[in-house]
Amino acid sequence: MNQTSRCRLLCFSLFSALTLFATPLTLAQWTVPTAEELSMTSQSEVPGAPAVYLFREETTEDKLHMFSTYVRLKVLTERGKEYANVELNYTHDSEGSSIVIDNIEGRTIHPDGSIIPFTGKPYDKLVQKTQGVRVMSKVFTLPDVEVGSIIEYRYKLRLDDNWFMAPQWFIQSSLYTRKAHYTWRPTDQQLISDEDGAPSTSISWTKILPAGAQLKQTQLPATGLSNGQYIFDLDVHDVPPAPEEDYMPPISSFTYRVLFYYAAYRSPDDFWKNAGKHWAKLQDKFIGPGPAVAAAVRDLVLPTDSQDQKLRKIYAAVMRLENTNYTREHSAAEEKSQGLKEVRNTDDIWTRKRGNNDQITALFVAMARAAGMKAYLGVVTNRDHSLFYRAYLSMSQLNDDIAIVNVDGKDEFFDPGSRYCPYQHLDWKHSQTTGLRQGDGGSGSLETPSEPYTYSKILRVADLTMDEHGEVSGIVKMTYVGSPALYWRQRSLIGDDESLKRELRTLVESLMPAGADVKVTSIDKLEDYDQPLFVNFQFKGAIGSATGKRLLVPADLFEANTKPTFPHEKRDIPVYFSYGLMNQDAVRIKFPPNFTVESLPTSDKMSFQKFAVYSLNSESTPNSFTIRRDYFLGEIYYKTEEYPELRGFYSKMENKDQETVVLTTAANKPTPTGN
Amino acid sequence: MLKREYPPFDVPCSPLNSLELPVTPTYNSQTYTNPVTQPDVSPSTMGPIVYRRPMNLRTNPQAEQVRKSPLHLSVTLLLVSALPALASKPDSVPDWVRAAAQQNLPQYPPNTNAVVLLEDTTYTVAPDGSATEHFRSVVKILRPQGRDEGIIGVPFDKDTKILSMHVWSIGPDGHEYAVKDNEMVEIGYPNQGSLFEDLRIKAANAPARDPGGVVAYEYEQRTHPYLTEKTWFFQSQLPRLNQSFTLELPPGFTHGTVWAHSKETAVIDLEHQRWRWQIKDTPPIDLDQVELRPSEFSLEGRMTVHYAGPTLPAPTEGTWQSIGEWYQTLAKDRLVATPEIAAKAKELAGDKTDFYDKTEAIAEFVQKQVRYFVIEMGIGGYQPHYAADIFRNRYGDCKDKATLLVSMLSTIGVHGALVMVDDRRGVIDPDAPSIVGDHMIAAIEIPKDYTSPKLRSVVTSKSGRRYLIFDPTWDKTAFGQLENNLQGGYGVLMEGHESQIIRFPVLPPDLNTVRRTAVFQLHPDGSLKGTVIEKRFGDLSEHRRELYISGDAKEQTKYLDHLLGQDFTNFTVADFKVQNAEALNKDLTTSYSLTADRFGKSMGPLLMVRPRVLGSDQLYADRKERNNIPINLNETMQEQDDYTIELPPGYVVDEIPNPIKLDLGFASYESSSIVKDHTLHYTRTYTVREVTLPADKYPDVLQLSGVIAADEQSKAVLKKQ
Repeated sequence: MNQTSRCRLLCFSLFSALTLFATPLTLAQWTVPTAEELSMTSQSEVPGAPAVYLFREETTEDKLHMFSTYVRLKVLTERGKEYANVELNYTHDSEGSSIVIDNIEGRTIHPDGSIIPFTGKPYDKLVQKTQGVRVMSKVFTLPDVEVGSIIEYRYKLRLDDNWFMAPQWFIQSSLYTRKAHYTWRPTDQQLISDEDGAPSTSISWTKILPAGAQLKQTQLPATGLSNGQYIFDLDVHDVPPAPEEDYMPPISSFTYRVLFYYAAYRSPDDFWKNAGKHWAKLQDKFIGPGPAVAAAVRDLVLPTDSQDQKLRKIYAAVMRLENTNYTREHSAAEEKSQGLKEVRNTDDIWTRKRGNNDQITALFVAMARAAGMKAYLGVVTNRDHSLFYRAYLSMSQLNDDIAIVNVDGKDEFFDPGSRYCPYQHLDWKHSQTTGLRQGDGGSGSLETPSEPYTYSKILRVADLTMDEHGEVSGIVKMTYVGSPALYWRQRSLIGDDESLKRELRTLVESLMPAGADVKVTSIDKLEDYDQPLFVNFQFKGAIGSATGKRLLVPADLFEANTKPTFPHEKRDIPVYFSYGLMNQDAVRIKFPPNFTVESLPTSDKMSFQKFAVYSLNSESTPNSFTIRRDYFLGEIYYKTEEYPELRGFYSKMENKDQETVVLTTAANKPTPTGN
Repeated sequence: MLKREYPPFDVPCSPLNSLELPVTPTYNSQTYTNPVTQPDVSPSTMGPIVYRRPMNLRTNPQAEQVRKSPLHLSVTLLLVSALPALASKPDSVPDWVRAAAQQNLPQYPPNTNAVVLLEDTTYTVAPDGSATEHFRSVVKILRPQGRDEGIIGVPFDKDTKILSMHVWSIGPDGHEYAVKDNEMVEIGYPNQGSLFEDLRIKAANAPARDPGGVVAYEYEQRTHPYLTEKTWFFQSQLPRLNQSFTLELPPGFTHGTVWAHSKETAVIDLEHQRWRWQIKDTPPIDLDQVELRPSEFSLEGRMTVHYAGPTLPAPTEGTWQSIGEWYQTLAKDRLVATPEIAAKAKELAGDKTDFYDKTEAIAEFVQKQVRYFVIEMGIGGYQPHYAADIFRNRYGDCKDKATLLVSMLSTIGVHGALVMVDDRRGVIDPDAPSIVGDHMIAAIEIPKDYTSPKLRSVVTSKSGRRYLIFDPTWDKTAFGQLENNLQGGYGVLMEGHESQIIRFPVLPPDLNTVRRTAVFQLHPDGSLKGTVIEKRFGDLSEHRRELYISGDAKEQTKYLDHLLGQDFTNFTVADFKVQNAEALNKDLTTSYSLTADRFGKSMGPLLMVRPRVLGSDQLYADRKERNNIPINLNETMQEQDDYTIELPPGYVVDEIPNPIKLDLGFASYESSSIVKDHTLHYTRTYTVREVTLPADKYPDVLQLSGVIAADEQSKAVLKKQ
């Protein structure tokens, strides 16, 4: 806190005191429950819900540096009792920006109207204590809560004088909300951000609201001492719980909400332009390139190399570095003990031969620049976590860095921070997403390209021989290309050879009929990121179900244990896959003379619009049968209204996958699985 | 194939809105997220995290496990973000660390994460009963997964103060590091969830915790033990090369030891009231990928030292009786009933005269109406709250619930006692008296000549008194029974001078059952239509009762869909009904109509049908290795299926699966498929009679597993006429 603000502290304290005295003393009142609230046993919109919010209120009074919360909640099931346990986080900071939670009050009302006041004492629980900062929790639980109880509680959160915090109203939770009211009475003081010292000249907000909900803003008449008080109000009712489904888009950050900011900007364009410029400048300072990077590049590339050749060499060099996101971060103390200074630029990363995702991406950009190429950093929203929302003015939604290099006049995208990502490709989490990028003289918006479904492939081949008892043995080969290959290569970075083999073996065991012996015999091209990854297994075990004279063998062994992708008939939100891919299986089983093929699955082909295709083909010889299965997924996003048809496609495909090859034998009775 | 435009998500959003502020004097603003207003709408941080954890006795093993195990991932993140940069002069490690690090290691299996090179504990008792523990540990990391061993945490609370703590490491390159005091953090006890405990952890990230690196730490902690015992835990998931435990007692003090899950090691008398136990080359308890495994803690070796001296008022003497007597002093005044408690007990008992009926009414009140919630500080890890407070608040932890039950029963003339247990069968060793345990339940004394078939979990003490053992925390186990994880295990009956170890009965399989019946019609196109009725009783109904009592409609539908998805690829369910979800002493009954397309697989003229239409009894025992680990079958039970499938016209049965009859003593499995009147009738019965088996029975378990798996997948072959 600077001298100016210390001075202001005194002024403001006096002002606060006057304000308090001027405010009529009002005691907080509890709400008298209605007969319907007392007797209700469910909420028709959410059958079986554990609890519903009857009412929530959040009031922010900047002049008092206070956030006030009031909750009325109806417990509908045993699980709903858990909502009687309340835990509120707060911090104590020796630098003066501490938060206090007080005025905790509560009560429980039974369905018969009897009231049990909360007379206990909230506990202060330590979450974490470091130098100067204690993160704590206020913990309390309401008394005598039973199914049917209404629990009510309220508390106040207070900031230190001279500190303000714009409210963030998260309106949608996991519970249904009957009614909620939010109010903010902002300060009319000009504020300075504690992050960058920038003055804020306006209040801004981002809102995602249910239909019909209106954020109201009013201004009270001016008084002699001050301008009229602005007031923001929001009333909402019948807010459904936040959606949650399998294969759902990463939309957790799109629940109903209003996020306020004390802002220095008047529009999203204004914000992103300025925030982007600031970000780009900071990144350039880190990127350099410095002398160490320049020297390294001189050693790596030849003047006669083409741009592509130079970049491939640089990319390969960067890929060899230790990426600490997959190993561990080295603390500053540890590095200092090793005689290393604080990381300030990409020279330091190159010197250490290690860095995290973003540092290695910046190093790649630096080296490309040192090689005389136009190279830029981009920052995007990781599609595995969230989606970019331009109306939300926060750089925090941009998670990961990527690189953009102009190669022979065309901007190409690279992902050197995702170790083992193939050259000139992006990890799927960074493809088809949005963010910011550096440009000549500033920054601009960025939309990363998508990878075609043909980029990611899984090829599964089983070449097996059956003995006269129906047991098979042989080789299983898996080939991974694109995103699946990247997944396994990055898994190898987290553990060691032993753990990778175990994971791969477990995968095959989970796919194939139970009880087989599976061994990984080789893993090839693990570090050769531009090549397919090959994994070979030795397989031995019983794979069929025997009847008296027949052996029924799953047609596609790799799908023997597959369960329905979409078992539910209803769907409320779109379907989302991480990436499109090609999956191709080939299973050949040679069998002894005592077996003959009685029946094979008929060849079939089906598709969903033009976005997914499936085919299964079978053929046999007197001593073998072969099954080939292709499944291509070309699109990652399917609208809710497309769900029934999509589900139908998957059901048909999965039914077909469960068909069997029927082998008959007259001489020897096969051994059933597991016997 | 076409690629279509990535469509926008239908998010109702608005562009930025703003309101200009007048320019006035300057103040600071905090622009970070409000830590309260944001999570407050989220139930995960609002408090109601699952609290059904019946482990709320603060015991030595709990604390020891924190120290000896890697900390939770979240702790790692906290530490990484919290540690400031510093250090100046070159660090060096003590000679004892360097010496330990220089040992030659035996050859370990490749999945060994790390090895404990040295672990020394010195426990010094003062005449006033206070004690000081001095602890040293040196661990070598062998593979990346062992890095977590370099995250050090030492638990403490107001009664166990850390006097000093040091952390060192040696990198794979030989570089030495020392963690400074201001690089350490304090964190609340992990996984507290909705609980409040005053236990904290002083923690540090050791530098250079990489494969080949060595991590060491040392601390001294002063404690005021609640009872005169100290347990040395000398076995864990890691192999251990050199360990020692040294006991130092004041003049005139005596001691004795008991050993659990290990043979006794000879003591070395160091003279002057000092004794040392040393162990070398302790193998790990490695249960990774071991199917049907018991709890690690039930296998790990430990030694408990009991000591006594002229200045100590109530030594525990190393007997179950003395432990019970000690506990009685803690709990006695907590059990006192108030008039309000008595009135409620009287109200619940009403005019019931039968012992079972009136005790059931009170037990179910405590079981269902008293919420599980933990608040404990210091001795509160052992000592219950006052019954009056528990009754008034209607919440408490396991020992609180057991206390209130005993208190209420006392007001209607029924005697009860607390029973300390561990919810991991096998942890409490009858030959090793100690306070090691993590849970509290109740024993209700049965009147002398009273008998009732409803009293199933009955134990008779050495004095001949009979007790009904009941756990009021386990809210889905019917009164009269006992949850499966306690069955066959031991508990400490806290009955003053009659305190003793008791063994809990293994209940018969017919108290834990699943019975599925279904009638179907199979159509020529392979579709199956019919009705299914499933009845569950005992612990096998627990999860579903929880789902149907507390789960919302979406969750219930999702669960059923998932369940049926194991057996059908395309199906619809209608007329789903649930009965008796809350009546624990009645069958939980679910019924529904089911349509499954393509259940029968057409293969030319053949139609393949799985007689075991739905429901799996699969015994997961794929792994061949066992390494002499006992087998944990979890629970006794019986599952029965009875399915009738009316066959489609135009088809005849060409083959049906052979009948199976296997009885291995500890379990049996029978199934048969019969065709009569164009109907396929499948029945099976799977019975488990034991909860644990010695390791040498594993081949039998594998056989059973294989037979069940084969039968579940076997097919009847229908042929078109």
